[in-house]
Amino acid sequence: MTVSPTPTAARPAPRRPEPATRKNRKTRPPAGIARRRARTGWLYTAPALTVIALVTLFPVVYSVILSFSDVRFTFGGVRVEEWTLGNYTTMLASPVWLEALAFTVGYTLVTVAVEIALGIAAAVLLDRLEAGRGWILALLLIPWSLITVVSAQLWDFLYDATFGAVTWLFGLVLDQPPVILGTPVPAITGMAVADIWKTTPFVAVIILAGLVRIPKERYEAAEMDGAGAWATFWNVVLPALRPVVSVAVLFRVLQAFGIFDLPFVLTQGGPGTATQSLAVLGYKTLFQNLDIGMGAAIATSTGVLVIAGCLLFLRMFRSQVDEGGAA
Amino acid sequence: MPLSRRSLLRTTTGAAAALAATTGCGRAVARGPDLSGAAEIPRGPVTIRWWAGRVAARDGSDLRPVLVRAFRRKYRNIAVQLIAAPPTTDVARATLTTQVTSGSPSPDVYMGDIAWPAQFAYNSLALPLDPLLPKGYWQRYPEELVRALTYQGSVYAFPLYLDEAFLYYRKDLLHKHGLRPPGSWEELASSAAKIQRAGDADLGFVWQGTVYEGLTANVAELVADAGGSILSPDARTVTFDSPAGVRAVSYLRELIARGVSPSSVTTFVEQDSLDAFTSGRSVFLRNWLYAWGVADNPASSQVAGRIGVMRRPGFEDGTGGRSCLGGWCNYLNPHSRNLGAALAFARFLAEEEGQSILAREAAVLPPLLSQLRGKAVARSSNPAFALAREVRLVARPTRTPEYPMVSKAVFTRVNEALSGGTSVPRALARARGDLRAALRGEAL
Amino acid sequence: MRRGRRRTGVRRYVNVVNLGALVLVAVTALPLLWMAVTSFKTARENGSLPPTPVPLHPTLENYRQALGFAGFDRYLLNSAVVAVSATAIVLGLGLFAGYALARTPMRGRGPVMTGLLMISVFPTIAVVTPLYLVERELGLLNSYWGLIIPYTAFHLPFAIWILRNSLLSIPYELEEAATVDGAGPTRALLSVILPQARPALFTAGVFTFTATWTEFLMALTFNSEDAYRTVPVGIALFSSQYEIPYGTIFAGAMAATVPIALLVLIFRRAVLSGLTDGAVKG
Repeated sequence: MTVSPTPTAARPAPRRPEPATRKNRKTRPPAGIARRRARTGWLYTAPALTVIALVTLFPVVYSVILSFSDVRFTFGGVRVEEWTLGNYTTMLASPVWLEALAFTVGYTLVTVAVEIALGIAAAVLLDRLEAGRGWILALLLIPWSLITVVSAQLWDFLYDATFGAVTWLFGLVLDQPPVILGTPVPAITGMAVADIWKTTPFVAVIILAGLVRIPKERYEAAEMDGAGAWATFWNVVLPALRPVVSVAVLFRVLQAFGIFDLPFVLTQGGPGTATQSLAVLGYKTLFQNLDIGMGAAIATSTGVLVIAGCLLFLRMFRSQVDEGGAA
Repeated sequence: MPLSRRSLLRTTTGAAAALAATTGCGRAVARGPDLSGAAEIPRGPVTIRWWAGRVAARDGSDLRPVLVRAFRRKYRNIAVQLIAAPPTTDVARATLTTQVTSGSPSPDVYMGDIAWPAQFAYNSLALPLDPLLPKGYWQRYPEELVRALTYQGSVYAFPLYLDEAFLYYRKDLLHKHGLRPPGSWEELASSAAKIQRAGDADLGFVWQGTVYEGLTANVAELVADAGGSILSPDARTVTFDSPAGVRAVSYLRELIARGVSPSSVTTFVEQDSLDAFTSGRSVFLRNWLYAWGVADNPASSQVAGRIGVMRRPGFEDGTGGRSCLGGWCNYLNPHSRNLGAALAFARFLAEEEGQSILAREAAVLPPLLSQLRGKAVARSSNPAFALAREVRLVARPTRTPEYPMVSKAVFTRVNEALSGGTSVPRALARARGDLRAALRGEAL
Repeated sequence: MRRGRRRTGVRRYVNVVNLGALVLVAVTALPLLWMAVTSFKTARENGSLPPTPVPLHPTLENYRQALGFAGFDRYLLNSAVVAVSATAIVLGLGLFAGYALARTPMRGRGPVMTGLLMISVFPTIAVVTPLYLVERELGLLNSYWGLIIPYTAFHLPFAIWILRNSLLSIPYELEEAATVDGAGPTRALLSVILPQARPALFTAGVFTFTATWTEFLMALTFNSEDAYRTVPVGIALFSSQYEIPYGTIFAGAMAATVPIALLVLIFRRAVLSGLTDGAVKG
């Protein structure tokens, strides 16, 4: 996806008048009432924001602090042995961390790209389907609502080197069916397939929502210009989908970056370190190595990467996200 | 957020220890474990929880319920609730550490690998046992074992059972092709290939090759066979990337390349390899003592009565007969609320009563010397029991708290080479880097 | 069909669109069906080749094993307690916050909304360590609250987004009428806004419930004790296909999947509109 310098000017008129606009025009309250209502607003928001801040922001700060320490478990609690930069220098120099980073980034980019492509294809298909769309949408929601661990067990069985149905299918066409979870490239591919199977429906439904909003006139205009199906798709459909696609990409990239459940069940990070994501590495560092400081350093750096990625994305696609987002 | 701030304070400054102690606002940081209640065996009814993996009986069944029943006959007021541990040792360890570091009083007693004491002691996950026991208590167990369970002068686990690795083979298939049990690893590979070529078995040799402790054990044995080691005896220097290490790992990789071992062996834990053997698909199997009970039992095996077992061979120009010392012990959770009952249970399993049950019925060896050298063990129908005494034990460097990282460096990088991710020399070079980091306490 | 020529004859049924839809349905449904089929097969049949498309000797033994012996009933109960509680709290707090962000002139709404968006996608691993230590200090590990509180916090942002977006469109006149009648803001919210917000509450509820029902990493680290394990942790840890055969694992998986699948199917309109209005706008 590339950045388009020109904002999509020919955006369709909203289906209904924007409520915010109406509010501004019709019912702007006098200043005193406004102040009182603003206070009520903060009062109502406070409990939710407090819970969120305590449980999410505070730990983030705590995590940053821990990442500069060497901590050890004791009978009564944990004890800081020393304050140090060592966790970060060790981490940055460690091939294991670099491998995990490379896997996580590569895996995220590839799976999300495939999911978006398949999601667009599925959405276009559903948009043009004459009957049964409701049922298919309902079916698509099931993988989305499936417990990831369950789907991982399912694919683990499908990929079983001896009795797995997928291995058996490969055996019908190949002399030597691959050991899917025991060889690096097939293991990564197999995990990606399981991931794509579960999340593409989610992407497809979001994109379909954007698709049905494209006004009929634009198709008609394209048809009058004599554009074929492909030309229409490239020139009309894709540009109009950019906002929803941007949002889907943002959500999926951030989700995929934290991938843990699938490798935990399918491969435990193997073969070698081929499928060891940052989250799996962080978990193992904490609970297999019992290295809290290092675990916090991995967690913090992952968080920093996510925020940086998020900000970069918002910067690049600001207009699209705004259009697709905040109504 | 007063509570959170307090915990932050307590964990982030050394002074917090003094502060917490002086203000009495909770558990002091640098205090020893609480041993009150360990001295007495309770009289009223209590329930303790025992986290344990299978203890294999000679007939392939599970001995855990038998042991619990025997204990209940002696201590009628102490009920034991069994919690099944996850299947592989590393997943079990992570789940257990999560639970024990959380301060949970459950499980009261947990079964753990003999490779764990250093790490568990260092991180206060297990209770030091010496203060709870009479002097000279440990003299009843093999010295080597007690040393493995000791960290900085105290013993941290009650021995439950011992295990050693052997080579299992298909007597019938070797006989049919006029072959003898292999005298060397090279002979094993060629015998297996011959039987495979004749179409009598799909697979030649199965072992444990996935990313877990078991692969480290396989590799440690082979490296020793080749005359090398993973670390120097003082555990300070990395010796894995020596010619011996290259030879050991290259041998395993060669097995896969030649099709003697299936490529799926890189996903195998003990049970996968045992399944491949008991279903009649493989000629050879490297596995622990308990495998005999399963593989020679018609109810669980298609090759019962047609198998043999021998000490592991060596390389052509070297000697064989080695094995890692495997085995499981019972640890006490320092946060247990029923320390007295927990101690009674762990002792029961480690002393005459529990060990005599193991000696009579288990597919593994009882570590208690009186039973280990006793008649019940000698009378076992498992021929490997007679061989066990002559096995030369290969030490894993388990006495450092960094051992889990050492082992991880070995199994991750070797698995990488075996699954075709990289060449053997490169994998060993990476392993060297990881191992050095582990010894410096800087491994990931 | 919004465009193009209306297809006639055979082409009306056999065409790229319908074939594509067929493929889509097959690819989505087959693995699910396989899970169901496996759960009704005997261990011997699951361990034999070639795989059989339908169970030769259908059995309920796996379900008996999973629900009775493997302690799975306890996991289901734990999951239900945690998910229902977290969902209820999320909806309660989220309604008020969503209302305030949609309909009061409080300042800083923009930053708050962006912050919420960031938090809702923050990777769990980044906060697991400190939360673990804090909960340990507070004695919250291995308890229901130990999961309910973080689940509430992590799923509130998305619920607030959905609720806020839907509350924007409620006509102001309704609320004004209530205020004129002398109702305070809270009463106006409960008597006027709440009924209007019902669809959005369903949506937010289903999303939160699904997310908490399926969450794994926090459940694995915070509630590791057997008595407090949730379904995903239970299923992941009895992953030993040796002591427990695949058939039994999938029987447990089915028991965990069917309720949530039914919930999602019943409320599919809410879910779909949530994905459209919540995710697309949010």
